[in-house]
Amino acid sequence: MTKIIIPHIHKIEGEAGFWAEVTKTGEIEHLKIETLKGLRQIEGILVGRRVQEVPLIVSRICGICPVVHILNACRALEKALDIEVSKDITLLRKLFLASQIIQSHTLHLFFLSLPDFFDIENDLELMRRFKKETKAALKIRDFSLEVTDIIGGRKVHPVTPKIGGFLRLPEAEDFKKVLKDYSEIMDSAQFLAKTFENLSYPEFYRETNFACLNPEKEYTFLQSSSIIINNKKETVENFYSKEIEEDLKNPPVKRVKYHGQTYMLGAIARIKNNSQFLNPTAKKLFDDFKKKNKLSDNKFFGNIYHNLFCQAVEVLHFLEESQKLMQEIVERGIKEEKTEIQIREGEGISAMEAPRGTLLDHLAIDKNGRISSCDIITPTAQFLANIEEDLKILLPTILNLSEIEKRRKIRALIRIYDPCISCAIH
Amino acid sequence: MKNKPKVAFFSLTSDEGCQFTLLDLGERFFNLLKKVELIDFSLIEETPFPQGVQIDISFIEGNPIAKNEVSLLKKIREESKLLVVVGNCAAMGGIPKIKNYQGKEKTIRYIYKEIKNIPNPEVKRVKDFVKVDFTIPGCPINGEEFLKCAEDLIAGKIPEVCQSPVCSECPKRGTKDCFLARKKICFGLIARSGCNAVCTRGELQCFGCRGLIKGAKVKNLLELLKRFEGEKEVEAKLEIFGLKDDVKEHL
Repeated sequence: MTKIIIPHIHKIEGEAGFWAEVTKTGEIEHLKIETLKGLRQIEGILVGRRVQEVPLIVSRICGICPVVHILNACRALEKALDIEVSKDITLLRKLFLASQIIQSHTLHLFFLSLPDFFDIENDLELMRRFKKETKAALKIRDFSLEVTDIIGGRKVHPVTPKIGGFLRLPEAEDFKKVLKDYSEIMDSAQFLAKTFENLSYPEFYRETNFACLNPEKEYTFLQSSSIIINNKKETVENFYSKEIEEDLKNPPVKRVKYHGQTYMLGAIARIKNNSQFLNPTAKKLFDDFKKKNKLSDNKFFGNIYHNLFCQAVEVLHFLEESQKLMQEIVERGIKEEKTEIQIREGEGISAMEAPRGTLLDHLAIDKNGRISSCDIITPTAQFLANIEEDLKILLPTILNLSEIEKRRKIRALIRIYDPCISCAIH
Repeated sequence: MKNKPKVAFFSLTSDEGCQFTLLDLGERFFNLLKKVELIDFSLIEETPFPQGVQIDISFIEGNPIAKNEVSLLKKIREESKLLVVVGNCAAMGGIPKIKNYQGKEKTIRYIYKEIKNIPNPEVKRVKDFVKVDFTIPGCPINGEEFLKCAEDLIAGKIPEVCQSPVCSECPKRGTKDCFLARKKICFGLIARSGCNAVCTRGELQCFGCRGLIKGAKVKNLLELLKRFEGEKEVEAKLEIFGLKDDVKEHL
């Protein structure tokens, strides 16, 4: 029996380890990803708190994607309290979430996963070798973080969001300034996309299930009443309560499965189910890549390494989306609408697309306006078991490599998923 | 490379929001890194710790919650000349500390029925485990302030600690928009500034994530706030960022 152990995997959000046992004949006896952070118990901490404090507390689940944690919890509470959100607020929320996805993807694409394709272990070396690409990646991040800042009042852990909208609304004028930089940023994004278009992705094939919000008339990411998985549509409530199951046997992380099967979320799943709604530049990149590499849909989506390319496509898509949203906001202006919260007992379930996939929040409120129960299912908790299944395909193919090479390949595959361990064990 | 100070960033259990604040500084953060020899920063490099070298400055965010984190923290202290805590979790316990006030056994049972194998220690500050040389406060830290402090620390100086209240940076001070004028709980009068009053500018009250200033008139303010919203509510708001313990120590 040979053991393959990687005690600490860096360059992911949070920290994880890998552990496997392989027999002499090359069969995998055990294989698992271990999460190495402590449980902060954010769900338990929310119980008993006033609903107004939820955005502030829930954002601390994750330092890279606080926006989606805030927005989805707010939406679950709005459903519970029967609060309608105005069109202006919805536009701002879409832009807010798009900015989060762009900055998170760009960080992962360039700083976390790209180095694996060149056996680079330190990003400072990556930056020395890829000067132009570094500039482009930083520019795109600066741009999207600026949008996050304008709407949220801060880049990490925004302060302005509240149930029903925002404590302080941005000025439509602020977006005019940002829009001026758009074409330059789009050039940078297209330049960076080329890097990912030309990468040589490892050969890989395994079929899995792909879940995301159900697209109705557009590339859905903020809200939808249903979730699509393998062309099957389920209401968010059904998906949450009947289709998936949380495995509580290996705390602190809850591994989630769909009818006992693993499934995938995030960029690759969204593009699988939404590609017809991609914005033009993003769509062209996606179509050209498949054509150039002579890949059928089946082959493209069977290769998990393409998740990285899908993130590059989404960076373009959400930049184009942001431009449209900002133009609409500038034209319409932003009207202040007072939403009064009428406290009452209730519960709400909401699903939203986080950078890494569908985030589910189930929150209940008691008659005094305090949280009485809380369940938050993050994308990483949902796809963790899917990584393990892919690793079971990878492992037998790399057994003859040196120890260093083996570890490199394992780490690279895990990082393709862009797992967020802080989210997974919140 | 020889003369560059050796610097490391460590993340204990946390949301890593302070590390992301650094990365979000973009080019300016990477320019700072050019002045140092980077020993550890798990978001951008792969080398495992410890490397058996003496580190000049270690920055630490988060709380020791997972089972090996207390010994990791002690090892970091051993290997570092200066240990600097960054952020509200490491400095004051942070949002995870709310469970201490709820009764931690109760909190975890909201999430898991079977809790045998889950470490559930009382959440404590880094300084409750090891000696801390300097603190950069906030949830998350202010990137600008970090850059300034880091420049000083790299030059071998301990930076000055800002002792003016958040109100001194708040544009609402003395106006009818001041939360106190609106009879709402706000700890701006006793809380450390340096954040450019980012919360109150965003219409959110200050809940004191950066800790108390020296000589804060805590009692006076809390008496006033209790009259606005009642003692229970004041206590609840003091819990959010762990200010409650600092207040207890202060009074």
